[in-house]
Amino acid sequence: MKTTFEEKDGKYVMHFEGRLDTAASVQTEQEMKVLHNCEGHDVILDCAQLDYISSSGLRLFLALLKVAKSKGSKVCISGMNDNLRQVFAMTGFTHLFEFV
Amino acid sequence: MTAQSPHTAEILEVYRLHKPQLEQLAEQASDLLRKALHNQNIQLNTFECRVKTEDSLAGKLEKKGYKYKTLYDVTDVVGIRVVTYYTDDVDKVAAITKQIFDIDWKNSVDKRKHQLDSFGYLSLHYICYLKEGPLRSIPFEIQMRTALQHVWSAIEHDIGYKGAVKLPPEFVRQFSRLAGMLEMADDEFSRLRTTMTEYRRQVQALVKSGHFNEVSLSTDSFRQYLELRPFDRLNQRIAAVNQAEIFPAPMMQFLSIFETFRFKNLGDIQQFIDENSDDAYQLALSQLAITDLDILSETIGLQNLCLVYVLKQGGGLYGVKAVYDAINGGQASNAILAENVLRQAQLLPFMHRL
Repeated sequence: MKTTFEEKDGKYVMHFEGRLDTAASVQTEQEMKVLHNCEGHDVILDCAQLDYISSSGLRLFLALLKVAKSKGSKVCISGMNDNLRQVFAMTGFTHLFEFV
Repeated sequence: MTAQSPHTAEILEVYRLHKPQLEQLAEQASDLLRKALHNQNIQLNTFECRVKTEDSLAGKLEKKGYKYKTLYDVTDVVGIRVVTYYTDDVDKVAAITKQIFDIDWKNSVDKRKHQLDSFGYLSLHYICYLKEGPLRSIPFEIQMRTALQHVWSAIEHDIGYKGAVKLPPEFVRQFSRLAGMLEMADDEFSRLRTTMTEYRRQVQALVKSGHFNEVSLSTDSFRQYLELRPFDRLNQRIAAVNQAEIFPAPMMQFLSIFETFRFKNLGDIQQFIDENSDDAYQLALSQLAITDLDILSETIGLQNLCLVYVLKQGGGLYGVKAVYDAINGGQASNAILAENVLRQAQLLPFMHRL
C-alpha cells in the first residue's frame, strides 16, 4: 500500500495505490494525518490505483470526513473502481462522500 | 472644509481623553446584553457595537453642536445595534434591555410608533446606563430592529432620502407603500413562526402517541419520527451479520424517495417497515455475508427497505437506480450498483413471490 500527498490548486490530494486492508491501515492512518489539517482546503482522495478497501480503510475515510466537516472542508473521492463503489454502496456510505 | 468651532474642539478634546473609558463601556455593555440575549435563546441577525469615530462625532457636532453642552449630551457616542429576525423579538430584546440597564426614558424613542405623520420603517432606540460600576454615568444607545427594518434603513441611507426636507408627493407615496409592505412582511413572518411552532408541537404529540396515520409526511414530521429510531431494529439485525459497528449518518435525504413512493403520512412509512423488513434483511445479508465488512452506515436498513420496496413494486433496474440516484446523487456508477442489487435480489424469495 502506498500513498502520496500533494497540494494542487489549493486542494489537498492524496493518491492511494494498492490494497487498503487491516494490515496497511496503521501506516496509512499516519500518512493521512496531514489531511486532518485541512482548514481552508477541500480534500481529494484519489483512489484510481486503489484495488481494495477493508472496514479499517473505511474507518480512516470516515474519520477524515468527520474532521474535514468540522473544519468546513469537503472530501471528494475520485477514480474509484466499481468493486470499491460496491463496498461503499452495500455499507450505506456512498451518500456521505462526494464522488468525482 | 470649515474650521472647527471652539465648542466642537472642546468636546472633541474630552472625547480623546475619555476614549479608553468609552471603549471599556462598549465592551461591558455589549457583553452584558449579548449574554442575556443568548440565555433567552433569541436568534439574532446581527449584533454590532461601536464607539463613534472622532470624524463622525466632529461632523455631528458641527451640524447640531448647539444641542450638546457636554460630550455626554451626545447619547450615541457608544452604540449597540441588535438586529433580530422577527418583530416579536424586538420587543423581547427591549424587555431584556430594560432589566439589565437603566433607561433614560426622556431621551428614548420608539420610532416604530412615530409613523402617523411621516413615512419610514424605523427602529426602537433606548438611551441606557450601566446599573453599577465607575462607568454608570456615561450614556450609550441601543438600537433594536428587525432585519427588514435594517434593510429599510440601509436603502434609505443609500438613496439619500434621510433628512430630506420636502419630497414630491409621488415619492412620499412610493416610500409609504414600501414601508407598509415591509411592516406587513415583518408581521407575517412573526405570525408564520408562531403557526409553525404550533404545528411542530401538534406533530410531536401525534408522533409520540403513535397516531402515525394522522401525521402528514413533511420534513418536520419525518424528523420527529426519526427520533423514535424506527430503523434501529432492522439495523441491528443487519449489523449482527458481521458484528458490525453502526456509524451515525443523516437520513433526511430519504424523504424525497418517500415522496416518489407517494407516501402521504407516517403510517405509510410504518407499514413500509413492517411489510419489508424481513426481505430488506435478506437483501443486506446476501451482500454482506460474503464480506468481512464490520462498519455500516445508520442508513443501511432504510436503504435496503427502499431497494426491496421498489423491486416489489415492479420498479426493476430503473427503480433501483432511481433509489441510488436519490441517495447518492446522479452518479454514473449508480447504474452498475443497481445491476448488482438486481442480480443479488433475483436469488431471493421475495422476487419470486411477485
